[in-house]
Amino acid sequence: MKTKLHVFLKVLILLLLQVTFGQEKTISGSVNDQQGLPLPGVNVLIKGSTSGTQTDFDGNYSIRAKSGDILVFSYLGQKTVEQVVGSQNTINVQLEEDASQLEEVIVVGYGTQSKRTLTDNISKLTSDDISEVPNPNLQNALVAKAAGVQVTQTNGKVEGGINIRVRGAASVSGGTQPLYVLDGIPLIDPTGGRTDIGNGAPTNPLLTLSANEIESIDILKDASSAAIYGARGANGVVLITTKRGKQGKAKFSLNVSQGFSEPTNTRKWLNSAQYIELFTEAGRNSPFFTPEEGQAEAEATFDFLAGDTDWRSGEVDTNWSDIAFQNGYQSDADFSMSGADAKTAYFFSGAYNNTTGIIRGNELERANARVNLSHQLTTKFKAGMNMSFSRTEIDRIANDNAFSTPLQAIAQSPLSPARLDDGTPNPGTLYGNFLLDAENAFFKTIIRRTVGKAYGEYKFLPSLSLNSDFSYDLFSQTEDNFRGQNALFQSTNGEAFASDLGSESYTFSNYATFDKLFNDRHNINVVAGTEFIKYNRRITSVTSQQFPSDDLSTVSGGAEVTAGTGVNLKSSFLSYFARATYDLDGKYLLKASIRRDGSSRFGSNVRFGTFPAFSGGWIISEEDFLKSSETLSFLKLRASWGKLGNADIGGDYPSLFLFSGVSYNQRPGLAPAQPGNSNLTWEQSEQSDFGVEFGFLDNRISGELDYYKKDTKDLLFSVPLVPSSGASSINQNIGTLAGQGIEFVLNTKNIQTDNFSWSTNFNISKNTNELKSLPNENADIVTGRHINRVGESVAAFYLREYAGVDPANGDALYYLNTENPDGSINRDTTNDPDEAQRVVAGNPFPELTAGLTNTLLFDNFDFTFTFQGEWGASIYNGGGIYQSVNADYFDNQSIDQLNRWQQPGDITNIPQARLYAGNGTAHSTRFLGDADFIRLRNISLGYSLPNTVIDKMGLSKLRVYLTAINLLTITNYPFEDPEARSDVDGQNTPGETFYSSPPAKTVTVGVNINF
Amino acid sequence: MKIHKIISVFSILFMVIGCENELEINPTDNLPGELAFTSEANIAAILVGTYDEAGQAATYGGDLQIFTDLLGTSDQVFWTGSFATFRQAFVKNVLIDNGFVDDIWTNSYETINQANLVIDNLEIVTSSQEERDRIEGEAKFLRALNYLDLVRNFSAPYIAGQVNDQLGVPLRLVGIVDYSLNQDIPRSSVEAVYDQIISDATDAYNLLPDTNSFYADKYAAQALLARTYFQQGNYVAARDAANDVLVNSGHSLVTSGFAGAFNNDTDSSEDIFAFQVTSQTGSHDLTNHYASELDGGRGGDIIIEDAYLDLFDDPNDERANFTYINPVNDRRLTLKYTNQFANISIFRIAEMHLIRLESNFRENTSVGLAPLIEINALRGRSGALPLVGPLTLDLIFNERQLELAFEGFILNDSKRMQKNVGSIPWNDNSLVLPIPQSEMDTNKLMVQNPGYGN
Repeated sequence: MKTKLHVFLKVLILLLLQVTFGQEKTISGSVNDQQGLPLPGVNVLIKGSTSGTQTDFDGNYSIRAKSGDILVFSYLGQKTVEQVVGSQNTINVQLEEDASQLEEVIVVGYGTQSKRTLTDNISKLTSDDISEVPNPNLQNALVAKAAGVQVTQTNGKVEGGINIRVRGAASVSGGTQPLYVLDGIPLIDPTGGRTDIGNGAPTNPLLTLSANEIESIDILKDASSAAIYGARGANGVVLITTKRGKQGKAKFSLNVSQGFSEPTNTRKWLNSAQYIELFTEAGRNSPFFTPEEGQAEAEATFDFLAGDTDWRSGEVDTNWSDIAFQNGYQSDADFSMSGADAKTAYFFSGAYNNTTGIIRGNELERANARVNLSHQLTTKFKAGMNMSFSRTEIDRIANDNAFSTPLQAIAQSPLSPARLDDGTPNPGTLYGNFLLDAENAFFKTIIRRTVGKAYGEYKFLPSLSLNSDFSYDLFSQTEDNFRGQNALFQSTNGEAFASDLGSESYTFSNYATFDKLFNDRHNINVVAGTEFIKYNRRITSVTSQQFPSDDLSTVSGGAEVTAGTGVNLKSSFLSYFARATYDLDGKYLLKASIRRDGSSRFGSNVRFGTFPAFSGGWIISEEDFLKSSETLSFLKLRASWGKLGNADIGGDYPSLFLFSGVSYNQRPGLAPAQPGNSNLTWEQSEQSDFGVEFGFLDNRISGELDYYKKDTKDLLFSVPLVPSSGASSINQNIGTLAGQGIEFVLNTKNIQTDNFSWSTNFNISKNTNELKSLPNENADIVTGRHINRVGESVAAFYLREYAGVDPANGDALYYLNTENPDGSINRDTTNDPDEAQRVVAGNPFPELTAGLTNTLLFDNFDFTFTFQGEWGASIYNGGGIYQSVNADYFDNQSIDQLNRWQQPGDITNIPQARLYAGNGTAHSTRFLGDADFIRLRNISLGYSLPNTVIDKMGLSKLRVYLTAINLLTITNYPFEDPEARSDVDGQNTPGETFYSSPPAKTVTVGVNINF
Repeated sequence: MKIHKIISVFSILFMVIGCENELEINPTDNLPGELAFTSEANIAAILVGTYDEAGQAATYGGDLQIFTDLLGTSDQVFWTGSFATFRQAFVKNVLIDNGFVDDIWTNSYETINQANLVIDNLEIVTSSQEERDRIEGEAKFLRALNYLDLVRNFSAPYIAGQVNDQLGVPLRLVGIVDYSLNQDIPRSSVEAVYDQIISDATDAYNLLPDTNSFYADKYAAQALLARTYFQQGNYVAARDAANDVLVNSGHSLVTSGFAGAFNNDTDSSEDIFAFQVTSQTGSHDLTNHYASELDGGRGGDIIIEDAYLDLFDDPNDERANFTYINPVNDRRLTLKYTNQFANISIFRIAEMHLIRLESNFRENTSVGLAPLIEINALRGRSGALPLVGPLTLDLIFNERQLELAFEGFILNDSKRMQKNVGSIPWNDNSLVLPIPQSEMDTNKLMVQNPGYGN
């Protein structure tokens, strides 16, 4: 009986609904913010459907809805409001500000967390931040945006490597790059550390990603956050999350832009007249000749350099720097389509980038596509897949340490014509003319990459779900290098090199999440899971020579195959992890996590490591005594401690004593390849972080202040061995490094009015490190021009100290810096560089980095600019011994060499010009430069057409913009650019430049269209 | 129900435990060290690898010869290449951080260590006594060869007729496998190093077969002994060793002319021992720095000057005309290195003639041949007019330069003959290479050569 009554009532109610509420009608109204100001662009949706609209510029909307429908009003930074449609035709809504950006959702690895209750230090960048900086290298968008994260492009090559240093160097010889995790997939750089492929210079491991598919980048900086990535977290973790469809109607967005680039800075070199003047003088002063002989020596060389031209009449004045560089172009086009209904979310995107670099012959062309799809099959089961593929084609030029790289052309004499009369490159230059390679050789690299992830989430209970992810990353790279018969130094009738790198990694992770609020007070979230990752790489290459003609350019065309390689490399990681977060009343916060990692890279004795972390926080502003404060709107204290590892220590088999196969006259041989160390294990880094987050005046002023200590034990050292022992270095875990730093972030909303707003983000961080102990009773470890010494920072420069010029005779002088019997340092000078002791002369890494971003919105205009600053680093110019040595040899000299000493009494830093005499050519602080700089990193001006106009066009947004990157650099740096660093041996010789290209200065115009 | 679900969650989570054996991954491209010393085939292969090491560009692949030639010549050639480190040698101002010096030192000791590893594991070679003798002999030959060049270039010159207790180089005679141990080592005396070279080379002579394909044979060891005794001024022993090679080795001057002795893809009749280079293996840095672009070089970093050509007394001497002009830059270059895949001769029979004739001349003997006849036989091969005599040491010194220039002889010939290099005295500190900075930085027992700061 009871049941029947129920059915009857239900039917009755349904009927009533039909009659009363069934009619669709137009609802209109306005949406205002807390101050009563109209809010344009607010999403208005009918709940559970895909139909919706947005408020216009005056905050008004209209929508067709039925009575009983629920309208959902949402707007970024405001609390979402729901209103049931009743009998009324007008619904006005006032949105309340959400606790501002502190409610941001942060990706933390195997889950997300609200920034408000976060006890970790994580920097987040959104797609808006990223799209502000149009550049084929994604990481460039991170520059100056996150405190304590130093992003440095190696140099101006389009595919060039990028260094990201999170909170300074943790390691000495191990890898210093952060772990990149794309949608949960730990990425590796499959080309890294291989000498059998590539051109000796690294490429950016994220080169294949397009900015338009990225939703956010979260940088896990402290140990508490990064510990969930255990043995690979010590250099920080960069979590990259791709976009998903958002609830609402389908959104289509299109972006097209065109950029123009040139080098940020080029150096000035001698012109022909100056060159003749300086080298004639050098010849006359040379101790190897009488003045007349010396002059004749110089002039004979001028004759040779000038070829068939007459140097005496100033016929030729070649600016080789101009020939090495070119105008760069950058075309971008991308689109995306996304949306979601209650069950299915979809995101499709495509992107195309075509970049012509600023260095002759350097180009990149990339196409990307992505589908991210998820579907809620039942209330309990959700599944999805992210799938992307990309094709990246790069025209590469040689690494910085090759004669054929365009930048080495600056060494050529201005007396030499670049080309002969018939237009072909002049082969009779001082050094090989790179144009011979530019026109007769190519090095084409194509990377085809597919990254996919299939995942499922099953909710066993409302509070317990299980996620299972399977990811696959296929990185397939081919290289084709052909050097025709007329290429530089080509003597084998052409040579072709082809390589094939197939790298696959699969990641299988399973984790359970328990999330429950008990008694409305105790919020508990527990994640526990396992992960298995396997990397397989297979590399083959083949070289052939003796080509019948340059028209054949593949290996098959060569009559003789002269070299080949075939390599299989494997490594694996197996991990268990768990994390628990707890908060009480949303104000007392606790977190603990642990990860246990095993890796094939380490000896069986020390295969597993455990990495715990703890953190806690207290949101003081939630306490009664502060809750009512008008000025202080948010205050949180947090502290964390954790332990991390660094497993990147060179190769897949760094601990093993190895022999490799060698060949002598085609007979097989064996040779020792690597000394073994069966106790080799992770570098362990312990980090503590204390932070305070604050907000004043309704969070119009907010910020964070952090202090951290980062102590690294068992430092991974590639310890130099005694060379006469027959091996050069051994991988060892020895020594400790103490790092510390302060980070400060300040965000202010300076002006917020009806049609004008101005906000500022400022961050600054200081990082220092000091070696605390080293092997062999703290013995110095010297590698090239760097030293690791107890009490000094890692990899400090270790150089003879240049003391300028003896005014009496023009000799280059060096400080002795020997120890006197009484222990004091002898500051006398010598002109014999071998007498001078080396000293710690500088730090290759900056101690202070800062970023300042201003965003201004005025009517339909948007304007934003970012300044970047770095202080405390020095850069050594390895090419200085050729470029700036007062005409010691016939390399063209930097213009400052004209200030050379000429007669007794001259006070200058440039020694007397003496041909071949080596006066001041020893490696010394003479070639070390302060790399402090402030740079206008990006500046962007946009104009969005008024809604009244674009509505008619059926668009929701049409914005035209002008963006400039690296427009202005303020620095006293004496060489090309603080971001022009050598791409050879980067890790072992940090902070060196060697004929390295400055980065590009790019101006881009573009248009965004949404509908 | 709940329990059941929770159990299933955990069972999925810990599926991966079975993957733990996946952490056991061994390389497929390298041989684990502990397996290297388990078979005779491997020991023989390590020996082949030792040749490959010694033949690398840093030492016998050419840089050793180039560096010492630049240090040992004044106006006969001119270094015009870009490498400031080679220019340091040419202007006799080698700095302690010179990269080539470092490479010469390091590569020599890498070779020595590999030879030591072979010698230490001879007991694994059991197939035959001949095989074991061959392997031991070749390893000792390579060790002795490297020690001779180390001690000649990194130590003050050997002075005949006195105890040479000046600092030599470290003598490492046991292969190093465990690098976790302290590897510091002091320098032995020059005398001790020479004694070791003679002992090794004598063992090699006694152990090696008469012929041994392109590997070192009995007469390669004897040639090494001849060169060693000669450097010591032990002319009797040098003469007899050279005579043994000339009489018994079966090697003889290429009769087709001087050019026939160079740029050979396979050893010529004149080659007693050469490092093998092919388009696939080996290095030929001599071509790189001496040759035109067309011949596989960089255009000619080392230009032959008139002062060298002026040494010739007969304009028709094939050797005087053994040069060419690189049309690209008008540089005069030697024709000795125009094939980048040619073998690099280390002991030519011509050197044995020169050793024997000078030793005979000094000792006033005529073992094998009378000195004047022998020098004219050598000249005759290149079409040079015979000397009428009387022979002098200066004429012999000159003849060595005519025959052996650019092959890495001049520096140590000057030291042995006590002749200045330009205006620099033969025993000047600047003609001895510095102990590399990297060795000084790591080896606490190392002492730097005089004139290099310490």
